[in-house]
Amino acid sequence: MAEKSLDCLGEACPIPLVKAQKEMERMAVNDVLIVNVDHSCAMKNLPDWARSAGHAVEIEEVGEGEWDIIIQKLK
Amino acid sequence: MSEISVTGKIARSGATRRETPEERQRKATIQISAGVLLIAAIVAVAFYSQGANPKGAYIWIIGIGLGYVLQRSRFCFTASLRDPILTGSTTLTKAVIIALALSSVAYAALQIKATGMNLETLEVAKLPGWIRDVGIHTVIGGFLFGIGAVLAGGCASGTLMRMGEGFAQQWLSFVFFVVGSVIGSVLLPLMQAAGLYRKGAVYLPQFFGGWVPALIVQFALLATLYVLADWYGKKKSGEL
Repeated sequence: MAEKSLDCLGEACPIPLVKAQKEMERMAVNDVLIVNVDHSCAMKNLPDWARSAGHAVEIEEVGEGEWDIIIQKLK
Repeated sequence: MSEISVTGKIARSGATRRETPEERQRKATIQISAGVLLIAAIVAVAFYSQGANPKGAYIWIIGIGLGYVLQRSRFCFTASLRDPILTGSTTLTKAVIIALALSSVAYAALQIKATGMNLETLEVAKLPGWIRDVGIHTVIGGFLFGIGAVLAGGCASGTLMRMGEGFAQQWLSFVFFVVGSVIGSVLLPLMQAAGLYRKGAVYLPQFFGGWVPALIVQFALLATLYVLADWYGKKKSGEL
C-alpha cells in the first residue's frame, strides 16, 4: 500500500481537484493520497468528488486554514 | 473547526507537518485580538457611513452579513456551474436556483411597487434595478467571464470572500478584475456606437404580457432547472 502526498498550497479551487483526479488514476487500489490544500473551496469539491467516485475520504485541519484531504482509493 | 472529520480509519504516515499546540495557541490569540479590532472597525464605519448617507449603516451591515454567510456556507456561483461537470455534484447548483427563486420573489415585489400591474405604457428606462440593453455582447461577455471565473477560482463575490480568507492569489485576481472592469467601461460606448446593441432593453414582464405570466414562466423555468439538477446529481453519485 503506497502513500503519496500532493502539495496544492496556494492553488485555487479547481486545480487541487484536477491534480488529485489525475493522481488517483495512476494509483493502485488501497493506495492513499494526501492532498495538502489551503483554498477553502477545495475543501468542498475534492471530498465531494472522491466520495461520489466511491473512495474513502478524511479531512484533517493541519493548521489555520490549511487542510489535509486524505483519500484512499477503493476501486 | 466543525469541518474537521478525522475518523482515523485510513492508515497514513502523516506526511504533512502539523501545527504544534503552542503554534495554535499563538494563532488563536492573534485571531481573537484581530477579530475584536475588526468588529470595532465595522461599528465605527457603520456610524461614519450613517452620517454620510441615511441608509449607509444598513447597506454596510447587510454587506458584511452577506459576506459572512457566503464564507460560512461555501456558497460559490462559479462552483455551482463548474462542479456538475468537474465532480458531478449539484448541491451548489440547487442552492443557487433556490437563491434565484427567493430573490425573484423580493425583486418582483420591488418592481411591481415601481411599475404597477399595468405594463403597457411602461417606460423601462425609468425602472429601478439593473435593466440594460441586451445583445450578442451579453453572451460573449458572459462566456469570457465564465472562463475567467474558473481560472481565477471564483466570481466577483467569491474573489472578495477569499481575499478576506487570506488567499493571496485572489488579491491578484482582484487587481485584474478591476483592470478588466476599466477596459469594459471604456469599450462599452464604442460597442454601443458600433451598433452591437439591440435598441432598448427587454423587460421580461412586459415581453410576456404582464406580471402573472412572467412570474409563472420564471418559476416554471427555475423549477425545471432544479428538477434537472437534482436528477443529474443523483445520477452522477449513483443513487439512480
